[in-house]
Amino acid sequence: MVHLSSLLLKTYRGGFVVIRLALAGHKQANRPFYRIVAAYNKRARDGKYIEQLGTYDPLPNIYNEKLISFNFDRIKYWIGCGAHPTKPVAKLLGLSGFFPLHPMTITEAERRRAKMEKTEAAKPEESPEEGQKEVEV
Amino acid sequence: MAALGTVRRFFGSYSRLKNVQPSKQTPRCSVRLPRFSDPAVQDILTRITGLDLQKVFRPIKQELKPPTYKLMTSEQLEQAVHLASEEAKKRLNTPPVLPERKPINDVLVVDQILDGMDTAKLVFTDITYSIPHRERFIVVREPDGTLRKATWEERDRMIQVYFPKEGRLISPHLIFKEENLKVRGDRIISSVNVHAATYEDLDKHGKYDLLRSTRHFAGLAWYLVSARRVDGLIVDMLKKELLQDAVSLVSLFHMVHPHSESAQEAASQQAAGTELLKVGTNQTVRFLLLPPPPPTHTHTHTHTHTH
Repeated sequence: MVHLSSLLLKTYRGGFVVIRLALAGHKQANRPFYRIVAAYNKRARDGKYIEQLGTYDPLPNIYNEKLISFNFDRIKYWIGCGAHPTKPVAKLLGLSGFFPLHPMTITEAERRRAKMEKTEAAKPEESPEEGQKEVEV
Repeated sequence: MAALGTVRRFFGSYSRLKNVQPSKQTPRCSVRLPRFSDPAVQDILTRITGLDLQKVFRPIKQELKPPTYKLMTSEQLEQAVHLASEEAKKRLNTPPVLPERKPINDVLVVDQILDGMDTAKLVFTDITYSIPHRERFIVVREPDGTLRKATWEERDRMIQVYFPKEGRLISPHLIFKEENLKVRGDRIISSVNVHAATYEDLDKHGKYDLLRSTRHFAGLAWYLVSARRVDGLIVDMLKKELLQDAVSLVSLFHMVHPHSESAQEAASQQAAGTELLKVGTNQTVRFLLLPPPPPTHTHTHTHTHTH
């Protein structure tokens, strides 16, 4: 006789609950859509989860909005039970105002700004050069 | 009808809120400004609306049934008419007029660091099931880094996305665009702005009759009284020789705007009835109260007084 309990209630040795993004709609190519989910760490990314806590749609809609939903009540519960949010979920929660801003968000913003400044500094150098070339030609 | 249900629920929650907080009045007037739901106001409004049985029971598109004929004595006929008028009163129950909702301009955080991180707005909705929609947190993180509360339109859209209600659309129906808003039958209109636009249109064209014996007349009267533009309506009533209605409209106006000149004059003279009318109306309308001029001039008079 197959022991069904071991198949259904997979209790893991040293496993813990995480709050992470799981890709939904795997039948559709090139259209990502994530569910924010409380699941055991060892489970497959898109596999069986404990509870769905929200959604994240990375593609903007006609109003140029990216829609994100959180069930804050249940997120509080799971964090109270000791669940760890992953980096992208923590970033989203930081952007929403529920958590303080994630340090990586700030770092990325600073890096991006540095890059922008570099390209802007490069452009004014290029355009006087181009102007000279045209004049010569 | 779904809109009516939600309007009723909103009204219910609004009245609960009203009971909890003491009503905020301007400090100068000690008397509470009358609201739409006051029994006196409601009384006047029902009287103005009138009870035209023919119009209330105007055939609406229904399945075709062959008409039934009944043989009745005159007593039974009277009873039947009485029942019909009761039914008509129920149908004329006006949907409650809510005060216009104030636009939300609450900025929570300004993070200049995040400027230019993303080209799209991020809209965060709280999908906890047991919160009423009014108290739901819906915030928007703009591309320039500001975190602000969502506007009413965004809120409605998000709530419809995550908690869909039958018959609602995410973007407002084409009917509600300004260009298309002309006077149309008595279809259900759901937001106050749409109400306002329709009432303005009605006022401009003087088509009060369309709404006269319907549920929306009270709302129209209340809107005009709050906006202090009752002249057109009074003119219309006087033309139709509904003097009682005109009198009640003027008294309603005085109730709502106790500090206006005409109200104070009326209070000082303690006028009533047609006297009240003369006090409450201005020069142009008073012309109509005079005995009608000789027939050759009537045409030109009506032109000058209806604008």
